[in-house]
Amino acid sequence: MPELRNLTLNFGPQHPAAHGVLRLILEMEGEVIKRADPHIGLLHRATEKLAESKPYNQSIGYMDRLDYVSMMCNEHGYVLAIEKLLSVEVPERGQYIRVMFDEITRILNHLLWIAAHGLDVGAMTIFLYAFREREDLMDCYEAVSGARLHATYYRPGGVARDLPDTMPQYEAGKFRSDKDANRLNENRQGSLLDFLEDFTQKFPKYVDEYETLLTDNRIWKQRLVDVGIVSPERALQMGFTGPMLRGSGIEWDLRKKQTYEVYDKVEFDIPIGTNGDSYDRYLVRMAEMRESNKIIIQCIDWLRKNPGPVHTEDHKLFPPSRESMKGDMESLIHHFKLFTEGFCLPEGEAYAAIEHPKGEFGCYIISDGANKPYRLKIRAPGFAHLAGMNEMSKGHMLSDIVTIIGSQDIVFGEIDR
Amino acid sequence: MSDASTVTIEIDGKTLEVKAGVMLIDIADDANIDIPRFCYHRHLTIAANCRMCLVDVENAPKPLPACATPVMDGMKVHTKSARAIAAQKATMEFLLINHPLDCPICDQGGECELQDVAMAYGGDVSRYTEGKRVVKDKDIGPLISTDLTRCIHCTRCIRFGEEIAGLRELGATGRGENMQIGTYIEHAVSSELSGNVIDLCPVGALTAKPSRYSARAWELNQYPSIAAHDCIGSHLSVHTFRSDTNRIVPIENSEINECWLSDRDRFSYKGLTSRDRLLKPMIKMDGQWRETDWQTALEKTFAAMQDTIRNYGADQIGVLASPNSTLEELYLLKKLTSNIDCFNFDHRLRQLDFSHQDQAPMIPTLGSSITDLESLDSVLLIGSNISKEQPMLGIRLRKAQKKGAKICQINHRVYDLRMPCEVGIAAHYRNLVLELAAVAKALNIDSSLLPHAANTLFVQAQILEKHSQIAEILKNGEKSHVILGNQAISSPYYSLVEIFARAIATSCNCLFGYLTDGANATGAWLTGAIPHRDYNGASQKTAGLNAQSMLEQPRNLYLLHNIEIDYDCADPVTALSAVASSDFVVCMTPYVSSDMQNYADILLPISPYLETSGTFINIEGRVQTFAGASKLKNSEARPAWKIIRVLGNYFDIDGFEFNSSKEILEEIERTIGEFKGDNTATITEATALADKEDVIYRCSEVNMYHSDSIVRRSEPLQNTPEAKEDRIHINADLAKKLNLERATQVLVKHGNKTIAMHLAIDDTVANDCAWTSFATATSKKLGPMYGVIELEAD
Amino acid sequence: MASIAHWIKSFTLWELLKGMRLTGRYLFSRKITVQYPEEKTPMSPRFRGLHALRRYKNGEERCIACKLCEAVCPALAITIDSEQREDGTRRTTRYDIDLFKCIFCGFCEEACPVDSIVETRHFEYHFENQGDQIMTKSDLLKIGDRFEDQIAADRKADAPYR
Repeated sequence: MPELRNLTLNFGPQHPAAHGVLRLILEMEGEVIKRADPHIGLLHRATEKLAESKPYNQSIGYMDRLDYVSMMCNEHGYVLAIEKLLSVEVPERGQYIRVMFDEITRILNHLLWIAAHGLDVGAMTIFLYAFREREDLMDCYEAVSGARLHATYYRPGGVARDLPDTMPQYEAGKFRSDKDANRLNENRQGSLLDFLEDFTQKFPKYVDEYETLLTDNRIWKQRLVDVGIVSPERALQMGFTGPMLRGSGIEWDLRKKQTYEVYDKVEFDIPIGTNGDSYDRYLVRMAEMRESNKIIIQCIDWLRKNPGPVHTEDHKLFPPSRESMKGDMESLIHHFKLFTEGFCLPEGEAYAAIEHPKGEFGCYIISDGANKPYRLKIRAPGFAHLAGMNEMSKGHMLSDIVTIIGSQDIVFGEIDR
Repeated sequence: MSDASTVTIEIDGKTLEVKAGVMLIDIADDANIDIPRFCYHRHLTIAANCRMCLVDVENAPKPLPACATPVMDGMKVHTKSARAIAAQKATMEFLLINHPLDCPICDQGGECELQDVAMAYGGDVSRYTEGKRVVKDKDIGPLISTDLTRCIHCTRCIRFGEEIAGLRELGATGRGENMQIGTYIEHAVSSELSGNVIDLCPVGALTAKPSRYSARAWELNQYPSIAAHDCIGSHLSVHTFRSDTNRIVPIENSEINECWLSDRDRFSYKGLTSRDRLLKPMIKMDGQWRETDWQTALEKTFAAMQDTIRNYGADQIGVLASPNSTLEELYLLKKLTSNIDCFNFDHRLRQLDFSHQDQAPMIPTLGSSITDLESLDSVLLIGSNISKEQPMLGIRLRKAQKKGAKICQINHRVYDLRMPCEVGIAAHYRNLVLELAAVAKALNIDSSLLPHAANTLFVQAQILEKHSQIAEILKNGEKSHVILGNQAISSPYYSLVEIFARAIATSCNCLFGYLTDGANATGAWLTGAIPHRDYNGASQKTAGLNAQSMLEQPRNLYLLHNIEIDYDCADPVTALSAVASSDFVVCMTPYVSSDMQNYADILLPISPYLETSGTFINIEGRVQTFAGASKLKNSEARPAWKIIRVLGNYFDIDGFEFNSSKEILEEIERTIGEFKGDNTATITEATALADKEDVIYRCSEVNMYHSDSIVRRSEPLQNTPEAKEDRIHINADLAKKLNLERATQVLVKHGNKTIAMHLAIDDTVANDCAWTSFATATSKKLGPMYGVIELEAD
Repeated sequence: MASIAHWIKSFTLWELLKGMRLTGRYLFSRKITVQYPEEKTPMSPRFRGLHALRRYKNGEERCIACKLCEAVCPALAITIDSEQREDGTRRTTRYDIDLFKCIFCGFCEEACPVDSIVETRHFEYHFENQGDQIMTKSDLLKIGDRFEDQIAADRKADAPYR
């Protein structure tokens, strides 16, 4: 009898389904996974260490690059921790804008997730449809911040600038007739809020389309149902958060349980699953997009009615407007000092967490009273999820590993940091 | 229990037991309670004119300025109460009303007290919309640039001039909004301490001109170091911008330089990037200079030394080192030379009289600590322009004078010491000895203790009133000090001067001390950088030639360490001809000049001060080690100790395996151990005084901005009026005698040299004396520092 | 009853046909594809693309070498050397942006007190040689001169929000 040995398989880090740079060492018995050992660190950029050497504001841009599909949410967790230490009040309009963009970001994240997940499992079409909607949302990103992905829009004390009253428009030219341009510009006649409202009206129909393509699809179900089951107890024990936890049937959402900004003033539901398998998590995320859409509608409504400041007027923290910087001495000094030294945080420590599209994203700051953190610790939800990989994939077939990675919604920016 | 002199006060709820009468702001500073301020400075008097330090004192009708409010028993002070904050905010608002929107182009931006206080205590929006005041800038010289619109009238610079520098150069004209800081009549400030106003100015009104617009405070790296241009060893911080020195600022040190720094120490760094810098080792081959590598250069040096030893004997090698060399360099040079049996090694380049060198104390010191100078009652300065030669000591003496000390000077010229002088005697170098003898006679010293040469002078001396006055002052002072300055040490009658000075000091129980040339003369004596003694004053088998004799009796090979022989020696003409006539000259030098290219055969680039590490021993005997800070781009220069180390290896001498200057210092500490800074000595040897003749005696003072090769190449320092001072000074009597009253230019004949010089009629100069500044481009053509000259109209 | 319906639907590939109908509909509907580079998508005046240094109308460069942008740059992408120009003004002698380091956060533009360094709409650029990514002062001024009208219009449009 020849000796039988398990095959050790190297999955990634260049595998297209590895969502970036995941490397898995799989121990196989035939086609069945005995053990999955995720190797991380290939996208490590020392964000936490880097932050220790920079004034607080200068690290905002690096937060975008953690989970690079939910940029503004990362910024949110970071500025929230700073604001907690400073105990600064953000004007209500600023809070609504943040909530609105958090939800836009959630939709952006989930769209990319469904696109990539679909592609991994074998549904090509959904990828193209999801990107069509992402395009509109990224236009919103660009309209407020000037960047389509890495916004650097949230600031301690509010957001960088108010929402624009106009949207950029398509231009007619040699290759585009006036008629075409006008048609494309139909939803761009008003402000950003008008453009976004138009989107929110269309979006539920789009989600319906995705569901038409996937929810009942037998192939989709064959690939997802009963794959990667996590019991509620294990989900809690392993520190799962977000859709990974809610898919297992636990109703836990920081927006409701530890409410922040104006989430207590908007209405929405927390969708939960029952079986804790990949299919349930899929359903939870689809439902979450619809809920986010609801929140955005409420925010648009409020923001239309309530103009006002979007950031704190305390210029010891937030630089004064450019006009006053060029005109008065106090403002110039504050501008100069804030852009060179930045502001100091009182000595102490603070942890602030938000309900990130992937789960609980938190920043823990220790300040020694200086203008840069003594230590910044980032709690990335994906890290705990990836740690559950072994348990979730044990006993499944090799092809299921792709489903599980997709279902976990792994992004290496935040895991490796 | 608090006795009468202590009171109990409360600041922000903190109870403090403090000395009565102290100002509130000092108490708060000691207790780490922040109070904003602009005009207050710990080392200056209180002006209380900025009103930034207003604090809320209970039961006082209005907020009080903390800098001018003495503490009283039971006082309750709040620095952060609503009233205090309102007062601070209001003051800040007023200060900013007239401040221009200059932050982006202001060099102070980022380290500006106004910015910091505005951030911490001011409001964040301005309510002021009227026009702002504009003040015209004034040109006050090559060191300080002015932007007087930014001035907030704290008057620190004015008070510094009056109280510390002793020179009222900056002042205020006008009142209120029209008040302006300036020099009244526009001229370059001449104080040797003027750079300190740059540090003092809380805003960007006075900034450093040499580093103007070149870097921001946050881009600079800081390295602590020790000043290298006088024997004080001020602590300083070298700020470098991408490896170049960008500026130098003092490090506070109450025992040496407090928080001040002389302009020479502050701005000399500009010489480091001079175009004269020697970048690569060079060799002269068939009269042509070629760049070479270190290996070849050092091998050639070794071969040349070897040849000289073999063919003519080690005695034919002369080694001269700058007194600015580090302890490590001098120690290694001594170790090298004594191992090859060459004892012609000296650092006393600006000394002419060596007759009593065997009786000299082991190391020359000040005889007291620098801080103790402040508590003196009387001082006699002999041959010293202390304010310019050792500006930090000038500050201390000025403080003593303010407390009532009486300052006397016997100099070639009655120097403006920036403080009132009780008695000032001007005498040329021959008469200076006689004046001292007269003072000694006025003190009734026991003449039997004097050596013969001195005794004759003592007997002849005539006591005038000024001599008895000095004698009285020294006798009556509880703590008196006799100080021999650089010019006394350079005098051709140094031995006689010292004999009398010591006799005076002994008879009135005074302290006695020296002020030496360069940064490390004390260290040089200690490591045996002298021809007649070994390390630590130990005797050695033979005595070599001293610096002057080495040049008067030309050697076959010279090894010159960090000197420019035509500037750094007391007799430039002799020195130049000596090196020119020798077979081989090795120059270890950071700079190269055309003269050097003529006389040298090998040029070895060494890292100058700020680029190398080492140790200086200051005039108190304080051992201070520093590390290198900057680095010149594209330079192959090496620290001198490494070069000497390799030469030692070539000679196969044991104990030359050093890998760092720290290892050398450790060996020095092991070999030399504890040393005594004791000035006591009995001097009996002396040069005889020449007979009186009816001639003109030339006396020189080393120009403070020409004192060493780095300073001579610092462009901003060279642009000061002080550095350009190159005239021959005579008093009106002598001018009349020579019929030169209207002359502006004269022909000066010294030895066999004749050159034309500008003439200045200056009544501070002694009779029959012509005073010149030394180590300048003119003086190097003239002959020794001291001597008999002839003057005639040009 | 439900199970019969389920059986029939399953047997007739009902849900797959539903999906096919959806994709089929899109197959014949108007395309949303933008034919880049001939056609462009709209761009916000806040867009943060390639950097430029601007001049005043009289041709004088705006930059006064205050180094705020250098200080605020999180990626340390900006390097400035400054000196006093002959006319006494504070000017840069070197203004380099390393575009490989730059993270396009826009802080330099926010920090600039004289609107000199700006991020333009221009994003279509490439480098052919190692070292080309370092934009020098003259490169940046050239970009500024080329796009000045657009830059000025964009700053004007966004002025009320800044």
